[in-house]
Amino acid sequence: MEKLFCYAMDIGEQMLISGAEVHRVEESISRMCHAFGAIRVDVFIITTSMVVTVHTSDNKTYTQTRRVTSTNTNYEKLHRLNQLSREICEKHPAEQEIEKELNDAVNCNKFPVWLEFVCYSVIAGAFTLFFGGKIMDALVSLMVGGVVRLGTIFFDKIISNNIFRKFFSTVMATFLAFFAVEFRWIENVDMVIIGNIMPLIPGIGLTNALRDLFTGDSIAGLLRTIEAVLTALAIAAGYFLIAVLGGFAI
Amino acid sequence: MTQLEIIQILAGFIGSMGFAVLFNIRGKRLIAAAIGGLLSWLLFVVLGTYITSEPVRYFIVALIISTYAEVMARLLKSPTTTFITTSLIPLIPGGSLYYTMAHIFQGNMDTFLQKAIYTLQLTSALALGIIVSTALAKIFYGEIKNIKKMHQ
Repeated sequence: MEKLFCYAMDIGEQMLISGAEVHRVEESISRMCHAFGAIRVDVFIITTSMVVTVHTSDNKTYTQTRRVTSTNTNYEKLHRLNQLSREICEKHPAEQEIEKELNDAVNCNKFPVWLEFVCYSVIAGAFTLFFGGKIMDALVSLMVGGVVRLGTIFFDKIISNNIFRKFFSTVMATFLAFFAVEFRWIENVDMVIIGNIMPLIPGIGLTNALRDLFTGDSIAGLLRTIEAVLTALAIAAGYFLIAVLGGFAI
Repeated sequence: MTQLEIIQILAGFIGSMGFAVLFNIRGKRLIAAAIGGLLSWLLFVVLGTYITSEPVRYFIVALIISTYAEVMARLLKSPTTTFITTSLIPLIPGGSLYYTMAHIFQGNMDTFLQKAIYTLQLTSALALGIIVSTALAKIFYGEIKNIKKMHQ
């Protein structure tokens, strides 16, 4: 039981890291533990920590706490973990099989780095056009997006705080946009900055926050909401810093 | 449809697909997420001929697209979040948020307040749409489970 309980915790932890709502993680852990033969499962999860206690029929109690410090949205991983958790509840697979599938899910393929790089640039360019930018704006935005993405690969290594990362990304994007205006590549910075803040805006965070709030996980939902608001402020701060420092009048 | 609207629909599609790749969504799920992005702005534009208020349109589109996401999640056996977060990308009020910031910086307090309230309106309309759809899905799905239980 102890080993199986540990697997349930691992699966839950990885789901939380890869971007699942708190509600889903709580439910999955609870179901898996029941499938492993627990008679009572108490789960308490917020976005940054997990506490689970399991009572078994032979009067034993197991408790585990996990601290979750990082999130890295990866829906393929989440999909596989979700499948695994369903499988455990329905088919009760053997320990080795669970371990193998868990490892497979955690180390699942990611798209190559260059493709992520291209996608990030294309997102920035596409949203510049979306908000009414001209072709030239979109091209500059595409390039700025590429540079910002290179920057984020670097920042990810040295900064662990997600909000600071977004701050630095905005600083870079705003700086490059003003730079492009100085060189008369584009007429004004608006469209390039809008295109480049689209990938940074905490839309996903806010969506998950609301879904958590209204499915009964108020604490987790509030934490996520605050995180989304802070991220938006960090983006504003990044923009302000460059606008003030450069003394650029818009 | 004006030229800008067609560009917007295509850009929304490409944007959603880009995010889907960044979030490592694969196969059929990638296509479903990207189509969600296309549909969301298409609906927004089409509804524009009947309803002028943007927040109202945001609410309706968010409601329909979240429902689409719930259906896709059941069909493709994947968490709903996968499809909601990517399909609603074109509705994220990035432009309005940017102009809010720009107006504080320029010191135009009137336009700043206007833009800030507008951004809040759009965000809350989006949020309400998602919440209503989530609640409906819970009730509907719970009901199906109950019926299945009764027949067992």
